[in-house]
Amino acid sequence: MGDAQADPVRERLERYVGKPMGPASVAPDPVNVPMIRHWVDALDDRNPVYLDEALAATTRFGGLVAPPAMLQVWGMPRPKIEGIAERGGAPNEMRFENPISALDEAGYVGTLATNSELEFLRYLRPGEQLELSNEVESISSRKTTSLGQGYFVTWVTTFRTTEGEVVGRQLFRILKFDPSTIDLTKLQVPR
Amino acid sequence: MTTNAPKSISISVGDELPPFALDVTSTVIVAGAIASRDFMPAHHDPVFAKAQGAPDVFMNILTTNGYVARYVTDWAGPEAMLKSIRIRLGAPAVPGKVLHFSARVVDKREGGGECLLELAVRAANELGDHATGTVTLSLPVG
Repeated sequence: MGDAQADPVRERLERYVGKPMGPASVAPDPVNVPMIRHWVDALDDRNPVYLDEALAATTRFGGLVAPPAMLQVWGMPRPKIEGIAERGGAPNEMRFENPISALDEAGYVGTLATNSELEFLRYLRPGEQLELSNEVESISSRKTTSLGQGYFVTWVTTFRTTEGEVVGRQLFRILKFDPSTIDLTKLQVPR
Repeated sequence: MTTNAPKSISISVGDELPPFALDVTSTVIVAGAIASRDFMPAHHDPVFAKAQGAPDVFMNILTTNGYVARYVTDWAGPEAMLKSIRIRLGAPAVPGKVLHFSARVVDKREGGGECLLELAVRAANELGDHATGTVTLSLPVG
């Protein structure tokens, strides 16, 4: 279905693999109780180790810790609300060379997240400041999926404290697809 | 939660976690999106979401991970330490479609003074599997 055909786009994508995706960044805020409380209330997560200082002190954590699934939250960039819809929801213009913009330009404008793999080396405590770096792990050959032809782009975000200790990672995979190439005879979930 | 949490010694491979049904509403989706600092319009603006081909606003991935974590620690208790959440994403979680969480213990071993558990987790609604994958966590031994 075209997967094995000559693919000039794929060749252009090769130079991104194994390379940083954009500059490293510092989380806008340190790990902090107000954002934890907002999260705990939004998700109605009543695990006491996140907000009950006295109880948390009796657990193996020895004090308050952040919800592990907030790892990605700490790194979310400050959004520019104006124009966010026109940017397809991207919080900011991506001003650096990256495979996602390259695929957009090549007509693969659709985006579908397919995998998230969060790894927690340890729990975080209020006051810790994180730094993030992203690296493109792989870009697939052109695949034919139920959403049309596209490429799976996988990158890994590494979260470090400002002292350089790696505290977590997130692997993220998206399908960038060209909606105009949908084959309506194929209706299975893309793989 | 504290008193009901299982001791690791009482947990066996094959154990099922109690199911959890999340009544997904627009409020649940928007609250999670904003608490996770995700301002993508598809997670709060139904007009934008529908223009993108989605049936309505849909849950963002950070919120999905948060509910998976909550589901597991609601069972495992405050001594649980999550090591990883690995999910494959499928059907969207949208308002009006209850999201059913289930999980099963698929591995248990001891190492480094901890009891390590691996759970196969699923969150599904009437559209299909929203998220499937594995969560690894540790509990104190004993």
